[in-house]
Amino acid sequence: MAKAEFTVVGSSPARIGGVERVVGKGVYGIDVMLKDQLHGGILRSQYAHAKIVSIDISEAKALLGVHAVVTAADAPDVRYGRSYIDRYILARHKVRFMGDPVAAVAAETPALVKQALKKIKVVYEPLPVVIDPEDAMRPEAPTLHEDMPLPKNLPDGVKVKNVCGFTAVHVGDPEKAMAEADVIVEEAYETKMIHPQYLEPRMTAAQVEPNGRLTVWANAQAPFPVRQEVAKTLGMPLNKVRVISAELGGGFGGKGSGITSGAAVEPICALLAMKAKRAVMIVLDKAEETISTTIRAGAKMYIKTGVKKDGTIVARTGKVIYDAGAYSGFGTQAGGRCTNMLGGWYLMPNCHIDGYVVYTNKQVCGPVRGPGGPQAAFAVESHMDSIATKLGMDPAEFRMKNMPKPGDKIVGVPKLRDVSLGETIRIAKEKIGWGKVKLEKNQGIGIATGSWIESAGPGGGAVVKINEDGSATVHIGKIDMGTIPGFGIPLIVAEELGIPVSDVTVVNVDTDASPWDAGTVGSRGILVSGTAARLAAIDARGQIFKMAASLLEASPDDLEIKDKQIRVKGTPAKSVALATVATNAHNIIGEVIGRGYCDNLALMAEEKAHGSSQPFTTHACIVEVDTDTGNVKILKYVAVHDIGFPIHRAAVEGQIEGAAAMSIGQALCEQVVFDKNGRTMNPSFVDYLMPTINMMPRIETTLVPGYPGAGPYGAKGAGEIACVPPLACIANAIYNATGVRIRKLPLSPENVLRSLKEA
Amino acid sequence: MSFTINATINDKKVSASTEASTSLLEFLRDTLEMKGTKLCCNTGECGACTIIFNGKPINSCVTLAADADGATITTIEGLADGANLHAVQQAFIDTGAVQCGYCTPGYIMSVAALLDRTAKPTAEDIEEAVSGNICRCTGYAKIVDAIHLAADRLSGRA
Repeated sequence: MAKAEFTVVGSSPARIGGVERVVGKGVYGIDVMLKDQLHGGILRSQYAHAKIVSIDISEAKALLGVHAVVTAADAPDVRYGRSYIDRYILARHKVRFMGDPVAAVAAETPALVKQALKKIKVVYEPLPVVIDPEDAMRPEAPTLHEDMPLPKNLPDGVKVKNVCGFTAVHVGDPEKAMAEADVIVEEAYETKMIHPQYLEPRMTAAQVEPNGRLTVWANAQAPFPVRQEVAKTLGMPLNKVRVISAELGGGFGGKGSGITSGAAVEPICALLAMKAKRAVMIVLDKAEETISTTIRAGAKMYIKTGVKKDGTIVARTGKVIYDAGAYSGFGTQAGGRCTNMLGGWYLMPNCHIDGYVVYTNKQVCGPVRGPGGPQAAFAVESHMDSIATKLGMDPAEFRMKNMPKPGDKIVGVPKLRDVSLGETIRIAKEKIGWGKVKLEKNQGIGIATGSWIESAGPGGGAVVKINEDGSATVHIGKIDMGTIPGFGIPLIVAEELGIPVSDVTVVNVDTDASPWDAGTVGSRGILVSGTAARLAAIDARGQIFKMAASLLEASPDDLEIKDKQIRVKGTPAKSVALATVATNAHNIIGEVIGRGYCDNLALMAEEKAHGSSQPFTTHACIVEVDTDTGNVKILKYVAVHDIGFPIHRAAVEGQIEGAAAMSIGQALCEQVVFDKNGRTMNPSFVDYLMPTINMMPRIETTLVPGYPGAGPYGAKGAGEIACVPPLACIANAIYNATGVRIRKLPLSPENVLRSLKEA
Repeated sequence: MSFTINATINDKKVSASTEASTSLLEFLRDTLEMKGTKLCCNTGECGACTIIFNGKPINSCVTLAADADGATITTIEGLADGANLHAVQQAFIDTGAVQCGYCTPGYIMSVAALLDRTAKPTAEDIEEAVSGNICRCTGYAKIVDAIHLAADRLSGRA
């Protein structure tokens, strides 16, 4: 589809909601103020693994101004979880990490909350702690979950424990092919836990309405899963629970997995509100958030690849050990994705990878931006360079040698309709000056590619209502955290209805009114809600044309809509205002309500029949390594992306730049550090290093046209894929600069210096 | 112990009582219910709570409300001239520097203070002025664009 066909999609108008945000009038979750609201707080475990012998709340309860104290005894004996139903909202019998919620308090002031939490006496019987997932798999490791079975799909004879997810990739006959390889390269890679560190603290407010219904305000990326799990854990029917989402001050997947994300802060707050019979609001402080909420897990990855002398890959084997943390959380899914992606996105005729997701006494894995992808790509794309080095081949050329073509399979994708990967490599080489740029001493150049396979997932709907003046009110199930409600959706609806973008309002998610949605996760916003909103706008337009046709004495098929006027094509004089038709609708159908869906089954059938167009990317960078201090400075960074058709170009660039920055942070400095007892050593922003403006290079983004995806107008998701290449891209540039291959993150001064010394 | 703070906030005289331990951020957000200034790290590390205090940008989370007695303060709510946005606010919108928008109020206050001091900031000036403002969404690229655009507009270069 050529861009010229469109009026507004493909442009970059100012973000809807931008003015509110720059004048301080954006209403985020933590800005919610309820009448007579109490403050809530949570008592968290001081042990990473212990039995709870007793909890005495009597002194806390007796404090003047304390309105409720709750423990597991106040909640139904019901657990929650995604793959394994392994977690209580408040710990029962045992605690399994230092942030595990044990009790909660609602009181008149924050100071009183703190005082009351200190008065709760918990007697623990400490148990052995296991921090490393590889240790946790061993038979002698402590058992974290006594009643959780091992995955049913574990191969016979595998002796492991504490495993809560297993994924196996099998393609061809890797043993036979490996035996026929000319060169075999075998390596091990490791990434560390990072926290998404969105700026807006996690909050929940809850109140019981006079009619007995429960209202929960949550800054959650997935309000419907929150509603489902709040209802389940508190034993309420779904129609008695309402979850309202305000604007989100960042999430990055860290607020994306139902009540798992915030360690059940929503049902705990609701429990307090029920007991106190007052509205209660909980805001986590940043250090508390870092130790208790969901994270991007660390992974250990063993990878072995056989190649022919000419650079043709013949086989890969590998193993992934993925750290779920204390509960299965999103670990089973993220670890599965990491395992698949260790197979790479090049031609791979023979492959066997086993992936284990393992419980440890740490924070729980969530779907943080590209779950499993950055980890796998660190191993895959560093490994590609190691192989190229051993073959004496140029790393970019080695990648091109194994490039899939349209019609080929890659691991996790049955058939590709087209492949933009090679073009992203070509453009990235050109932009960075591959083979041309003159590098000074201790400078190096690196390249790494990535993909983010868009596979099956939940569908979703949209409702577009046309108001009497011709403006549109849109309901979707996705929230605004710098994502589609402020950018792509208004453009799509404006395009299809012939109205100005400023006439479109996308309503914040309210589970009483919005269509169900799995959440603003998985780069699925534009695919799911974009598709649904486009179809809903087209449905609304059809209803408008039908009513306008009788006014204009024309056939609906002969009508067009532009600048809020419905006209007979070729006879512009014959027209009627959209506002007139929308107002007139009151006397006919009441209101124009367009409905649309993203039908996941239909999408899958289409891809099965014709293949899929996946997003691909190549990043390239130039770094300078200070060999005295180990400091790595990025001098130039380019990000070349095929994300299909960019509906809101600036938003797409912003997603790419932000996602790349997050992984550049993980590459260079970010890491949650533990002591041997499972205590987080760097929970506050003072100690948890994140990229500031002075360490971040200008990320130069290029979008590659011509590879339409499954989304509206040929769009593909853009929120996560740029997280995939940076870790290896920077590691490869460091290797190019120093000749030292670093296989363990972060590439921090101390780690780089140690690696240089050991080399 | 509670006492009364008299300050000029966004050109208005304000008088309200506060506790000795209350931070200026809490005073603004909770006592005065001015929610535009954002709470994040509460340890002076992220810049989300930046306000202009007697002409200088400060982190209001690590400043005591008591210190505001007699002070002149501008917050994000007071930067625009009625419906006319400040050049920095407009530039953040025009360059796409507002994603989730949570760091935006603090960022804009730091940049407004910078451009008050320096009409044409160098890359080093910018780094120094906003290295205490963390943005987790943008990778800073479009924020840098916004700062240059605002500087150019304020000095008549654009």
